[in-house]
Amino acid sequence: MPEVSERTHEDHHRELVSRLAREIKPARRLRSVGVRLALWMLLEVGVLAWVVTHTDNDFLPKLKQGPAYAIEIVFFVGAAMISAILALRSAIPGRPLRAAETILGVTLVLAGIVLITVSAPIRTNYQLQEFLHLGLRCARETVVLAATPWLLLWWLVSRGFPTRGRLSGSLIGAGAMFFSFALMRIACPIDEPLHLLTWHLLPAFALIALSTWAGAAWLRFRRRAPRPEPAG
Amino acid sequence: MKESDEAQRLERTRRRAQLMEQLQQGDSGACSALLDDIGPSLTYFLRRRVADPHELEDVYQEVFMAIFEARHTYEPGRPFEPWLFAIARNIAADYTRRRWSRAHWEELVAELPERPADSSNTAPPELDEILAKLPSDQRQAFSLLKLDGLSVEAAAARAGVSVGALKVRAHRAYQALKRLIGE
Repeated sequence: MPEVSERTHEDHHRELVSRLAREIKPARRLRSVGVRLALWMLLEVGVLAWVVTHTDNDFLPKLKQGPAYAIEIVFFVGAAMISAILALRSAIPGRPLRAAETILGVTLVLAGIVLITVSAPIRTNYQLQEFLHLGLRCARETVVLAATPWLLLWWLVSRGFPTRGRLSGSLIGAGAMFFSFALMRIACPIDEPLHLLTWHLLPAFALIALSTWAGAAWLRFRRRAPRPEPAG
Repeated sequence: MKESDEAQRLERTRRRAQLMEQLQQGDSGACSALLDDIGPSLTYFLRRRVADPHELEDVYQEVFMAIFEARHTYEPGRPFEPWLFAIARNIAADYTRRRWSRAHWEELVAELPERPADSSNTAPPELDEILAKLPSDQRQAFSLLKLDGLSVEAAAARAGVSVGALKVRAHRAYQALKRLIGE
């Protein structure tokens, strides 16, 4: 007869349950997606207020001139909000992303890009020095305006239980960067498509990629609890 | 009959949601009752994904730990099962990924030659020629594992490197050999 009998699934289950029941403490519930989104939007509105009061761009006449400029901004803000909602929801198990929301977000971005390219003629006679000088400043500002909202959204998502870090990371990046893009349309006086696509949108996509990578590396849930003590 | 099944299912869902709410408030009785209640469903769910009984216990434990740690994300009023099985599915998928990557490594480096290497037999000249084209560290890793038939640990000790480093060298050697043989 063997000295040590094999533990059955039932023994294992009992031991696990009694240990978890012993360790249980009240858990503070995660705030709803709506509340967390409102907090993030509050910060974005604050950033918007700062941009509006500090920009050299005379954007009000542009808003009155035609709907394209306003629609473009609204599209990117919409895409940012959808991304943020999906990011917050991705941290709740069993709340899958709906295809309709994803399609709507992608459509808004694509429509925004189309509006940018058709709303003004593309200038091809830039001096390289001028193109780089103006562009690098805009790229830097795009990143700076997205930094705090990105950090806040990351924190709000990490308060939940993100099981797909890569997805959550990309959605956080998209939320922060598309809003930043919209803010930069107000902050930057240049409406030329080549400048906007190269120095506003390209850095936004690069940072979404970086955020995706960061999410895969750090955002994903990892077991922190120790294994149950061995019996005996 | 179907109606009574449906009524039972709804009742079970409602009871589990209620227990989960109590668990969130730190009720240890509700914790035991809920985990006991979901145990069989979870075991059934995981058995379809994890074949090895020992590994099944590990994954089962991991799912319970994850439920425990994620308990603050359950939203009262919502059905409990989608929340539970999203966690279980994720842990099981993780396990499958880990298992696949472990199997891949074992296939690459831990496979012993079919016949024990005989020191009097030299490798065929073609292999000699191909091996000569490899960097010395990769050649050594390959020879120790495949020609001398050593285990990964023994080969690592012989080469004076960590097991991980030896595996990487061996993997690179296989890639290079594949390329060279294919030329």
